[in-house]
Amino acid sequence: MVAAAFSTLMTMETEEAQIAQGLRRRDPEVLDALIEQYQHRLLRYLTHLTHNQATAEDLFQETWIRVLEKGHQYDGKSRFATWLMTIAHNVAIDHLRKKAPQSLDEMRDTEDAVPFEPVSTGLSPFEHAAAGEDRVRIQAALEQIAPIFREVLVLRFQEQLKLEEIAKLVGIPLATVKTRLYRGVQALRPALGGDPQ
Amino acid sequence: MNGHEHERAMDLIFRRDVEGIGQDEGQWLESHLATCQDCAGFELAMSDAAQALRSFPVMASSSLVEATKARVHARAEQLRERDARRFLIAISFAMGMVVSAISAWAWWKVGGWMVEQFSLPTVIVGPGLVLFWLMPTVFLGMMLVAFPESRFEGSLMQLFMKDRQRGIR
Repeated sequence: MVAAAFSTLMTMETEEAQIAQGLRRRDPEVLDALIEQYQHRLLRYLTHLTHNQATAEDLFQETWIRVLEKGHQYDGKSRFATWLMTIAHNVAIDHLRKKAPQSLDEMRDTEDAVPFEPVSTGLSPFEHAAAGEDRVRIQAALEQIAPIFREVLVLRFQEQLKLEEIAKLVGIPLATVKTRLYRGVQALRPALGGDPQ
Repeated sequence: MNGHEHERAMDLIFRRDVEGIGQDEGQWLESHLATCQDCAGFELAMSDAAQALRSFPVMASSSLVEATKARVHARAEQLRERDARRFLIAISFAMGMVVSAISAWAWWKVGGWMVEQFSLPTVIVGPGLVLFWLMPTVFLGMMLVAFPESRFEGSLMQLFMKDRQRGIR
């Protein structure tokens, strides 16, 4: 078991090192493969962060351009996914700063958000409708949450990033990540059918 | 039950899904949740929130992916050209420095020889040599001012860069 875990770790390290080499060379094939591999995760993160699909798609492209330009800075020691999300975070921050001279903390996107494109879940029509209602309710609740809390929730629950990785990515202390996570969950509780504390 | 226990429980709830917790910690957490409604309620809310967020799949369209790849390729090409240009400029600068240093030394020697040979005043020979030495730079500067940049693009410089790019590939 230890050998298997070590083998997995070594494979991951080799993979990350190969990505780092490819990025240093600006190898188009490596970049194409990375775009294919991380397309959904990245777009999902940006969509939740900006709450606007068109903006998220613009930032998606901008993020990959920046990955190309800053690729030599990736050392292959950390997970590529975390580094990618850090780039995306910075691209989004730059965009939001340009868009309105207010902080990300205060930002509330009032533009009409394009509905998410659902994938087939194999549910019955009734279950689908019920799930759809839940989704709308939770979606509405998510829109009410300040982006700083939403971002941490998305990174934790969708991207499955470690707390330390989120702290590094967003550039905040670990304790703040926990606080934001706590407050984000509490803000979602009414929509989830529970009572906020 | 004290605040420290709640804090520990929260920390374990946060870490359980992704980082994972030890068996002892898991047992302690379960026993705490069995007796603490607040923490149990939060634990349930957190797992519901996680499930709810995972039920929002956002898929990137193939057209977006293709457009992104095209943009990335075009930018990569631009960066390669920029690197080639920078390399050429760096080489030219280095060569210019070496040639300048050598020629300055050589002309200074020539000037000294002229002063000795023809008994010329150093007040004239010194500034004359400096002017003579600067003439190519002055000439090139005038050319750059007289002709737009586009005249130089697509000429010898681009030819050099294309050769270098072929070498890189």
